[in-house]
Amino acid sequence: MNASRTSAARARRSGVLAGDVRFLIFTAIGLAAFPLALHAVGGYGGLATQICILSVAAIGFNVLLGYAGMLSYGHAMFYGGGGYLAAILLMRAMPAHPNLWLAVLGATIATAALALAIGSVTVRLYGIYFALLTLAFAQMVFFIVEQGGEITGGDDGLQSFPNALLPIGPWSIDLTAPVPPIDMGPLGTVSDLKLWYVFAAIVLLLVLWFTRALTRSQFGEVLGAIRENEERSLFVGFNAATYRLAAFAISGALTGFAGAMRALYDGTVAVDSLGIDRSGSFVIYTIVGGVQTVFGPVVGTAIIVYLENVLSGVTPLWRLIEGLIFIAAIVFLPSGIVGTLGGRGKRGRRALFGALRARPATGVAPPAGPAPAAVDVPRETNA
Amino acid sequence: MDAILETRGLGKSFGHFAAAADIDFRVAPGELRAVIGPNGAGKTTFFNLIAGTIAPTSGTISFKERDVTRTSGTRRVHFGLAKAFQTANLYGDQTVHQNCRLAALAHVQGPFAPQVFRRSKRLRTVDDIAERALSRLELDELADVRAGDLSHGDKKRLDIAVALATEPEILLLDEPVAGMSRDEARKTEALIRRLASEMTVLIIEHDMDLIMGISDSITVLHQGRVLATGTPGEIRENPNVQEAYLGGHSQEEMHA
Repeated sequence: MNASRTSAARARRSGVLAGDVRFLIFTAIGLAAFPLALHAVGGYGGLATQICILSVAAIGFNVLLGYAGMLSYGHAMFYGGGGYLAAILLMRAMPAHPNLWLAVLGATIATAALALAIGSVTVRLYGIYFALLTLAFAQMVFFIVEQGGEITGGDDGLQSFPNALLPIGPWSIDLTAPVPPIDMGPLGTVSDLKLWYVFAAIVLLLVLWFTRALTRSQFGEVLGAIRENEERSLFVGFNAATYRLAAFAISGALTGFAGAMRALYDGTVAVDSLGIDRSGSFVIYTIVGGVQTVFGPVVGTAIIVYLENVLSGVTPLWRLIEGLIFIAAIVFLPSGIVGTLGGRGKRGRRALFGALRARPATGVAPPAGPAPAAVDVPRETNA
Repeated sequence: MDAILETRGLGKSFGHFAAAADIDFRVAPGELRAVIGPNGAGKTTFFNLIAGTIAPTSGTISFKERDVTRTSGTRRVHFGLAKAFQTANLYGDQTVHQNCRLAALAHVQGPFAPQVFRRSKRLRTVDDIAERALSRLELDELADVRAGDLSHGDKKRLDIAVALATEPEILLLDEPVAGMSRDEARKTEALIRRLASEMTVLIIEHDMDLIMGISDSITVLHQGRVLATGTPGEIRENPNVQEAYLGGHSQEEMHA
């Protein structure tokens, strides 16, 4: 048995690179085809870019919900926070030479620091208490920015900051430049794509690759162990709070990164990017697409944002429809679209129940069947 | 000989109720020590104080001459003090092997290792430690079984194997054979006896008969205090111990 396990491990090891390359190639093909498919169903070029950017934010959210088992109801503070930080950096620190790298990376690092500070308080709580505390922090950030006067633009947000260029080697690329029209024969011609889409798609590709690596890494393995049984993890020697905090910071940084890109793409940033609706949207995107799956947040974002774009012009009842989709996903497809297609069945439901449990996960193993009701076992049995 | 584990004046009060009080306790390296006592004697409180699950309200704990009174349970594991749970506490969805692997991983990589790109599969030593722990508890045959599907006795033995995979110098066992069938209990007893030849073992037990055969020495707790410490023979003959065990129940009920 020992020998067979070793050879299996060796086979996996030699397959790692091949698997990564295959993953990157197929995902790149999908992202290249995406705006064409979107065009065929009536979407526009800018929508494809927005979906890519929002997907990055939802992926960040899923790192926390899916892999660390923590339901944040305040991720807009990182999304909007990243946007405001990028805008402020551009306007105050580099008005003459707006550099997209510096603005986005600066905002991401600052958001990561914000996530570390807020996380050091919030990761002590679990389940609904954690969700409520993240919501409270997000509302606090919202209020501070709304009252921020000249620096944040208050209610009006920040507009008309300089269009940042993307320096690569000797070139400075203007991402607002158009992509040459793509003729799809009978399906029409895609002529409204900007270089922004190429940039956002490459970023999304790299973020997908990063999260896939993260979930398969040792860090992801330990995070999963803590999610399944925190008490046991503490007594084999894992510092659970530090792992949870690291997951919170990575998650916040990814979402902040997306928010910074979105601000630069829009050329404007407003307080609603910090609002409770925005926080809720990441929950919906991720659960509809598939919690604990790499592609789930992307698929969920694409579907909801596309439907919102199509339907909000047709009927004022769009939010009602969105709500019904969310409820249907939780009841009928708890593993989301990607998870269900991937054969995860109802396992997503256990993930969601686990994230709502108000105590650290502990251990008397639940039976093999679905029994999420039994997870709330008292932590200490003092005979 | 220097003690590997020592407590001085150790106590834990919950409000006005002293669950453990003024416990002076020494374990020598390599010893197999049992802590026994009637129901409510403070055994589990004492165990949790040693393991770092709860913090004492008075006194000190030192491990290998290092004060660990305020050290978290997680850090104590890295110092070499591991515990098995009274009710098997496992990663129920993982295989038997993976349960031990995670413990070995914590031992090799430390309390926090942000390895976000490297997979743990590449760490051979982790596999080696996990397999050694499994074979010491005679669980090799079950390595690929889901831990949640094991029998009660196998779960309890796996819990000990998980503790062992942290490569401890002292192993704390909380009622290791509770709820086992007689055959399982006898088998586990033999395995513990073998482990005790390689490391210090501290067993908390409710059942006095079981412990008499395997312990080097026994500490009897009664109403949160040390009543007696001695060899199994001395403890058996001690009139105070006999009194506590025979009369213990009525007093117990008065406190309850």
